[in-house]
Amino acid sequence: MVRRTEPPAGGTPSLVDALCASFVTELGVSGASISVVSFRGKQSAVSSSDAIAARAEAIQFAMGEGPHWEVLSTREPALCPDIDAEGEARWPFFIEKARELGIRACFAFPMLMGSAIVGVVDLYSTTVRPVDPGFIVRASHLAGRAASPSVQRAMHSAAHHASEESPRAPALRREVHQATGMILSQLDVSATAAFARLQGHSFVTGRPIEELAHEVVRGALVFSSLQDEPSGSEGD
Amino acid sequence: MDGTERETRISAAFVAVADTLTTDFDVVALLHTLVEDCVEILGMKAGGLMLADGAGNLQLMTSTSEAATLVEVMQLAAAAGPCIDCYKKGAAVTVGDVEADASRWPDFAKAAMAEDFRSVLATPMRLRGKVIGTMNLFGATAVEISARDAGVAQALADVATIAILQERLISEGHLIEEQLQHALNSRIMIEQAKGVIAHSLSLSMDDAFGLLRKYARDANLTISSVAKRVSDRELAVQEIAKGAGHVASR
Repeated sequence: MVRRTEPPAGGTPSLVDALCASFVTELGVSGASISVVSFRGKQSAVSSSDAIAARAEAIQFAMGEGPHWEVLSTREPALCPDIDAEGEARWPFFIEKARELGIRACFAFPMLMGSAIVGVVDLYSTTVRPVDPGFIVRASHLAGRAASPSVQRAMHSAAHHASEESPRAPALRREVHQATGMILSQLDVSATAAFARLQGHSFVTGRPIEELAHEVVRGALVFSSLQDEPSGSEGD
Repeated sequence: MDGTERETRISAAFVAVADTLTTDFDVVALLHTLVEDCVEILGMKAGGLMLADGAGNLQLMTSTSEAATLVEVMQLAAAAGPCIDCYKKGAAVTVGDVEADASRWPDFAKAAMAEDFRSVLATPMRLRGKVIGTMNLFGATAVEISARDAGVAQALADVATIAILQERLISEGHLIEEQLQHALNSRIMIEQAKGVIAHSLSLSMDDAFGLLRKYARDANLTISSVAKRVSDRELAVQEIAKGAGHVASR
């Protein structure tokens, strides 16, 4: 069988940044940031539409609290159309900091690839922002569209292949998703955790994820037999 | 297949889609059947259907076999081959002799030849001037594809387009792009479920898909919904194996 030998191309900064900006223009919010769930529960921010969006995301990482984390635990969108109305009960530390940044409403949506959460999109508004079902559907769609390019951009920058970026981010090949299924079965973890492990192994070994996926599918690489990787990458 | 039989098969394909207007149906299973029908009606060897994702890349939605070699041919055809040309032009692309045309797309030609594919017909799936994907058929012999055959393929590709955009899982009024992405995400879900089943039962990806499809059909569920429950760990693989009379190896 024929296989491509070149490493998978990543999303260009311009593609992922344009996808990030589309949340602002299409949803009428003030700002957006995209981050990707990766190895050992770490998150990497791949794009922010402005400094406040970047700051709001960084604060959530630092505090371990906020809509971003709610999405990761519930797998559902986290909606806070008016932070004053919510009071401090939901996210006491985050809301205090958010107010200082001039944020009045905040939302977070999961980026899904099949059953795996591969990242989160955080949105904010400087005014109260009531939401209807159309907003949720549209935002979920935009988050889904951003999933594959964002993951590829994160993997790409981790591998220092910046010079090889292509104008389009090709979809991850089927074997990556098949391998995710095999790994989740081998390790008895969620699809989210299985994909994070595959990504992590790619990062640790410096080998392209599609090459590793091919070995997993062939049975040449078995994650339940891997000794050298720390556990604790599971987000669940 | 003679003319009358052919007309009957084509009509049957249209009726299958018309049924989707009134009942809950499985878009993945329907597209699979449509591509199989099209391959048979036109006397081709294999086929597949690709949809464009949000970034404008063609992704394989269904194919007559899930074998990695066929998938590879499709992916190469979508990277630099007849499928991507068809998508970009919005018009059918025919290749009467892959070998004679090898210099045009060397990687694709090599993979296609290895599978004994000698002719190709790539047909655009169009909706109101926008191309949403391509239906690709591969023949075992080098032969010029007739305008009539191309017309039949186009009619069936149009049927497939209608099927995708009517998918019942999605409520009315959503954008075409959202529907396409939903379809593609269910495909990812199916790939993940295939991985779970293949590993748990020591099966090939092709057999894992067959099992998934059979279970869904017997239980009167959509393939995507069964796939989701498998990759979410809500449905044990042993249940699927049992339903299909397959003996689990672990």
